[in-house]
Amino acid sequence: MDSSTSVALEPVLSFLAFSLSKLESGFYRIPGSAVVARYVKSSHQNDPGRTILELILVIFAIRTLLQSRTRTDRSGKHFIKFSEKEIDELVDEWVPEPLAQPLTEWEQRDLSSVPVISGPNGPKPKLLATGKIVTNLASFNFAGLAGNEKVKERALETLQKYGLGSCGPPGFYGTIDVHLDLEHDIAEFLGTEASILYSQGFSTISSVIPAFCKRGDIIVADRSVNFAIQKGILISRSTVRWFDHNDLKSLEDTLISVEKERKKRKGPLTRRFIITEGIFERDGEMVDLPKLVELKLKYKYRLILDESISFGTMGRTGRGLTELYNVPAEQIDMLVGSVANGLCSAGGFCAGSSIVVDHQRINGTSFVFSASMPALLATSGSEAIIFLRNNPSVLLNLQDNIRAIRAVLEKTEGITLLGHRASPIIHFCLRTQQQSLAVTQLTYDYEAEERILQDIVDDSIANGVLLTRAKHLRGQEMVESRPTIRIAATAALSRKEVEKAAGVVKASVTRILSKRR
Amino acid sequence: MPSPMALNPPSRSPSIFKKKKSLSQLSSMATAASYLSAVHQADTRARSHDNSSVSSTPALSLSSSVTASSEDTILNEDDENNCLAYPFTPPTSEQVFTTVHTEFGHCANEAYRCVSKHDYSKPVQEHSIEEPPYYILLTTYISYLILLCFGHMRDFFGKRFTKSYFTHLMPHDGYAPLNSDFDSFYTRRLKRRMDDCFSQPVTGVAGRTIVILDRYSTDNNHTQIFTGGKTRALNISSYNYLGFAQARGGCADAVEESIRRYGVSTCGTRLESGSSELHTSAEALVARFVGMEDALISSMGFATNSTFIPALVGKGSLVISDELNHASIRVGVRHSDAQVRMFKHNDMLSLESLLREVISQGQPKTHRPWKKILVIVEGLYSMEGTLVNLPRIVELKQKYKFFLFVDEAHSIGALGPHGRGVTDYFNIPPRSIDVLMGTFTKSFGAAGGYIAGPKILIDALRLHGHSGLYAEAMTPPVLTQVVSSMASIMGVVPSSQSTKSALTLSPASSIVTLKDGAEELPGMAPSSMLPTWMNLHPALADGSEARMRIRRLAFNSRYLHQGLKKLGFITYGHPFSPIVPLLIFNPGKMSMFSRMMRSRSTPIVVVVVAYPATPLVTSRVRFCVSASHTKEDIDMVLRACDEVGGILDLKHGVGERWGIDEVCKRAVELVHSV
Repeated sequence: MDSSTSVALEPVLSFLAFSLSKLESGFYRIPGSAVVARYVKSSHQNDPGRTILELILVIFAIRTLLQSRTRTDRSGKHFIKFSEKEIDELVDEWVPEPLAQPLTEWEQRDLSSVPVISGPNGPKPKLLATGKIVTNLASFNFAGLAGNEKVKERALETLQKYGLGSCGPPGFYGTIDVHLDLEHDIAEFLGTEASILYSQGFSTISSVIPAFCKRGDIIVADRSVNFAIQKGILISRSTVRWFDHNDLKSLEDTLISVEKERKKRKGPLTRRFIITEGIFERDGEMVDLPKLVELKLKYKYRLILDESISFGTMGRTGRGLTELYNVPAEQIDMLVGSVANGLCSAGGFCAGSSIVVDHQRINGTSFVFSASMPALLATSGSEAIIFLRNNPSVLLNLQDNIRAIRAVLEKTEGITLLGHRASPIIHFCLRTQQQSLAVTQLTYDYEAEERILQDIVDDSIANGVLLTRAKHLRGQEMVESRPTIRIAATAALSRKEVEKAAGVVKASVTRILSKRR
Repeated sequence: MPSPMALNPPSRSPSIFKKKKSLSQLSSMATAASYLSAVHQADTRARSHDNSSVSSTPALSLSSSVTASSEDTILNEDDENNCLAYPFTPPTSEQVFTTVHTEFGHCANEAYRCVSKHDYSKPVQEHSIEEPPYYILLTTYISYLILLCFGHMRDFFGKRFTKSYFTHLMPHDGYAPLNSDFDSFYTRRLKRRMDDCFSQPVTGVAGRTIVILDRYSTDNNHTQIFTGGKTRALNISSYNYLGFAQARGGCADAVEESIRRYGVSTCGTRLESGSSELHTSAEALVARFVGMEDALISSMGFATNSTFIPALVGKGSLVISDELNHASIRVGVRHSDAQVRMFKHNDMLSLESLLREVISQGQPKTHRPWKKILVIVEGLYSMEGTLVNLPRIVELKQKYKFFLFVDEAHSIGALGPHGRGVTDYFNIPPRSIDVLMGTFTKSFGAAGGYIAGPKILIDALRLHGHSGLYAEAMTPPVLTQVVSSMASIMGVVPSSQSTKSALTLSPASSIVTLKDGAEELPGMAPSSMLPTWMNLHPALADGSEARMRIRRLAFNSRYLHQGLKKLGFITYGHPFSPIVPLLIFNPGKMSMFSRMMRSRSTPIVVVVVAYPATPLVTSRVRFCVSASHTKEDIDMVLRACDEVGGILDLKHGVGERWGIDEVCKRAVELVHSV
């Protein structure tokens, strides 16, 4: 029995020995195998303990490699193990907060006081609530393009050829020739190599910023930039340094300190950006563009400039600050503007070099993942550019009207005018005993001021002038600015009408403020 | 649209048109033959024009009565593209078509209709993935490997020898590059090689057909040169589910009127004096359409998610998101301060176990209970064509008390017997969902999006969402397109008897009203909700045309799904989904597929998607079916896929296979077989 098994095993054993020797010779034939063998031999050193240790190390390394990068909380040290029954109990116990809280009394008033316009919007719209015709000092109709017959005509032509919707993102048959035309028109108008069209003004810059600024990059931004920029910066995950509002001295200090830090850390060269606005949406201040460009070139930063307000309103033909200051637009790396505000259509754009623009065609989230804008809105934009090119006098009227409004309001007791004197948006806030406009200290009661301003707005609407408060998402904005009323000047009104309207505002201010005393 | 034609068997009738087709195919071969066919076609064209104008004159107003084309919408067609410009079968004298065939195909055969509705006798279909053979997977991985090796090699040598191509990727002059060579690797090495398949500029209406601007490249797609020529192609790529992308028709007429009345812009944000009465009425209509208490409108679909989700959730809240949710949802969640967790795509078990975990564990570290949990899913997933398992999620919602946000960007209008989206398809009351979001870009041929929900919530969003304060309001033409297309889907309750008489004008539509009168329709639009100046023509106003659109879409979607399956392709998605992804796998075949489809005698434009939009191996072509396609169009797509797929070795599906002719012949049977 015993011998028979050994006889039966013999071929098996010989096969095993054979295959072992085969394996060994095969192993040594692999290039570099000798090194491995020598390493194993030297580490073994007739000590199985060492071999086991090495093996454990190898296994550990493999385990670390295989472990998924995003660890779930399940393996975290804060994980508490519950039995199924306990989980059921916890689920039963859990009471979520309601999805939305009912509006407060003030919020309700805020919402119900939003004016609704019946019929077309323009310099003299009709309000739905009262049926009264009012003078419009609230809507963005700077060059007076609202209701322009030529724009309408062009829109109608486009409609007949293209229909309305584009029915697809630009990558998938949503790029219509009229989009390319408008992009070309804008680039040519500004004097840049190319431009790219986004389908909403607000989403433009909040998409442009993260397209370029990534983790580890440095952003130096104005403290009072608009909400869209703040959101873009937030999502970019870059390192942000803030400089004081519209203070280029503070900007330079920041740039120097960033450079010092970099030299100290000897880090690699990262992308660096300055982000600011041409005319600040929040208060109407204007940036000193030549100085800004000088700083950017000196410290080798790229400049992302939001011209949402200044494009279509500033300069001789509305090319924006670059035209006003005679700075070549090529020097601004990413010039962002709004087709909705400046050209009275919809959407936004980013102009720059073709490398900058092409980069966004793949990396601009709200460009890539959104349907392109309706064709007729694009051609309306193109037509508006033609209008601006051909009618430089319009912007002179606009400046006249701005001066007229400021002249009246400057003499008004109890309010302070903010912003640059040429800015088409004119903010004013209530004057307090303290003349300082430092936004960092809360020397005022936000909500109380809001209420007073709303009273002024309501009163002036009742007297035939449409106004609006500049509205902000309180608590979400990075810097809480003082509540203001924002007047948007328009070229569509005559100087007389504007003066009369400003007079009405002045009277409302005086009336409301005197009532409160 | 039912018509006397429906009584006839669905066979091709007059033989001369068959002849025309065969002749036109010859046209490129011999000059004599082409001359002959040109003459012949001129003749038939004249006849078909004649036919249509005779039949349509009594019924319709001037601008919308064109059968074939008007000068604006059509090119000087080459003869070979004629089957796109003119129907295979010319209309009979009784038939009335109110659309331009190139925008919205003429199809009078009532057999080619279907109702999209969930069958509760069957379980909700799970997302099933058919595996390709191993050699396909292997070759796919090898292709990417080759691409990586060669790409990096070319980068290595390129940086040393052809520096000019790389300057923008290298630090220069003290500036870091805008884009590192590593980050842009796929863009440069994969995407650029098939850039001719992306971002193709088009002109005209993105309807049933689309006109592409011909272009070529002499420097490996670095720059594209336009030849100035144009080609009309069958469009199976645009999100034009209900075919409302039209330059002619009732909606376009309404938009025209709105531009005359309102201009193109409302000049401001919603809360800062950019609100128009059109916004208020459109919002009321949307709320009624989706069956919610209130709704708000935003001027951009992407921004609807990215600017309103932050107002829904904040610190201490958790968002549970499907792993394949759209970028706009991810951006929106990142803008908020909420935590986010993901679950496996459409996997209800994964969702439930995640819910049990997060509710029991509470917030990380502190273990405080979550303030609220918001589950965000899409109704119809745009890359997969999968439908959310809504019945199960609503069940889970009862138990786990989370809030449910359904993004109906693709499903609204496209699904359900009444086009009301997934809730309609599953027959689930819309109000059992907390937030319904959707876009107008797709089914309504407009732009922008909406959010619907309880009034308290919508009012809060109006004030706290970013769009209301900072983003421009939706423009009047877009609002009008939304209102007119939506009202036509809902059907308008006539305000007085006087409008009734107008109904008799179109014989076809009155039949439909009789037939469907008994059917209960959720929320028809009271005419008081529409602007007083908006006069929808009868077939739109009574909802009959839209009903036809919804049924045609359901038929077409189902037919393409089943047809591709029977031909042996691997497809994803729900059989009623108008998005039909066909799996290609190998990256090289993707561009080939697109080019081969485009260079057919009747060009077809398709969308191909690859990594990183999809997982690495599952490159795909994505068809978007529309109600504007006729059965013959789908036949054409199937035939093209059959040929191209045969050459490219794409048929790896399991199950019974049919020949292409059999598929086309037994289409109706195929559609109703599932």
